[in-house]
Amino acid sequence: MAAPLEHLETQLEMFIENVRQIRIIVSDFQPQGQNVLNQKIQGLVTGLQEIDKLKSQVQDVHIPIEVFDYIDQDKNPNLYTKDCIEKALMKNEEVKGKIDAYRKFKANMLVELQKTFPNELTMYRAIRD
Amino acid sequence: MNNYNNMMMGEQYRKMDPYSPKSSSSPRGGRSPIVSRQDSSGTLKTTISLGKNPSIVHSGPFYLMKEPPGEGELTGATNLMAHYGLEHSYSKFSGKKVKEQLSSFLPTLPGVIDGAGNMDNSSLRSIIEKPPIVGKELLPLTSVQLAGFRLHPGPLPEQYRTLNTTPARKHKNKHKKHKHKEGGLPQEPSLDPSGLDTHEKKHKKQKRHEDDKERKKRKKEKKRKRQRHSPEHPGSGGGGIMLPQQQTQLF
Repeated sequence: MAAPLEHLETQLEMFIENVRQIRIIVSDFQPQGQNVLNQKIQGLVTGLQEIDKLKSQVQDVHIPIEVFDYIDQDKNPNLYTKDCIEKALMKNEEVKGKIDAYRKFKANMLVELQKTFPNELTMYRAIRD
Repeated sequence: MNNYNNMMMGEQYRKMDPYSPKSSSSPRGGRSPIVSRQDSSGTLKTTISLGKNPSIVHSGPFYLMKEPPGEGELTGATNLMAHYGLEHSYSKFSGKKVKEQLSSFLPTLPGVIDGAGNMDNSSLRSIIEKPPIVGKELLPLTSVQLAGFRLHPGPLPEQYRTLNTTPARKHKNKHKKHKHKEGGLPQEPSLDPSGLDTHEKKHKKQKRHEDDKERKKRKKEKKRKRQRHSPEHPGSGGGGIMLPQQQTQLF
């Protein structure tokens, strides 16, 4: 899966570079640069064609939509990964805490039930075992 | 009418009477399942639970007995980060502070990218909400179409120059040697009209330090340009065509 993505990345970088070069040519245009500019514009079309061809190879790449929000808000998308990891860890700890609490509750309850309803609890244990 | 009501209430009371927990007539008290009692009749020996996993549990005197949940499943009791082998990612992101700016994620991207997409209507979200028209074949431009891109010689008008300026990189600021004050001109390696790819060269230039001689040469050239050709200089006219060689020396 890495190869198509890398290929797409390369194509996008080439496209961006082409645009950057056009920007430089245009920023202080010289008459002899017209041919180069025309070539670069055709290069844009070719670049878009290449990117379009790669579309089918990256169909199965799924991106969480929240990542887009991070990028739109001018944030590093790695922060999304970081936030996700932190949230997952927090939830993991929370659930573990609950499970541990229930385990303790069960143990305490069995102790107390043993004191109050010894016969019933013996029967209960017999069923459970 | 009143008599009728009294009669009805009396009937209801009589009907409820055998089931009431207050009634002393029932030897087993109320029917609440909470009340435990000796199972003398032997009717509560088995619990049949329906639903997704129907099961029959011999529950003895207990109500609502169910099979305890299986313990083989993966739960939050285990360290899921370790289970899925993500400790490396965790330590990577928790150890050092991740730079918040988008430009730190895409350091090689030219131009100003640190601007919220909502501001200039270039957000990724808008692509999803208002998908662009696709499906048309991309064809190279004909010579007639290319005629529309015929440009006039000279620099860009003032109002468009701000778009060209790239923000100074933070690591560049640390080196006082690289301080430029070229105003409206793009602060990037220029391109000669032959269209050579300068992308890789640009990166190399960013990393390496230049020799003292080169620096001195640059300073001299800058001085000369400021006096003669600089667009900042009011007397220079600003419209002079800059040779490609001069442009490359600028950066």
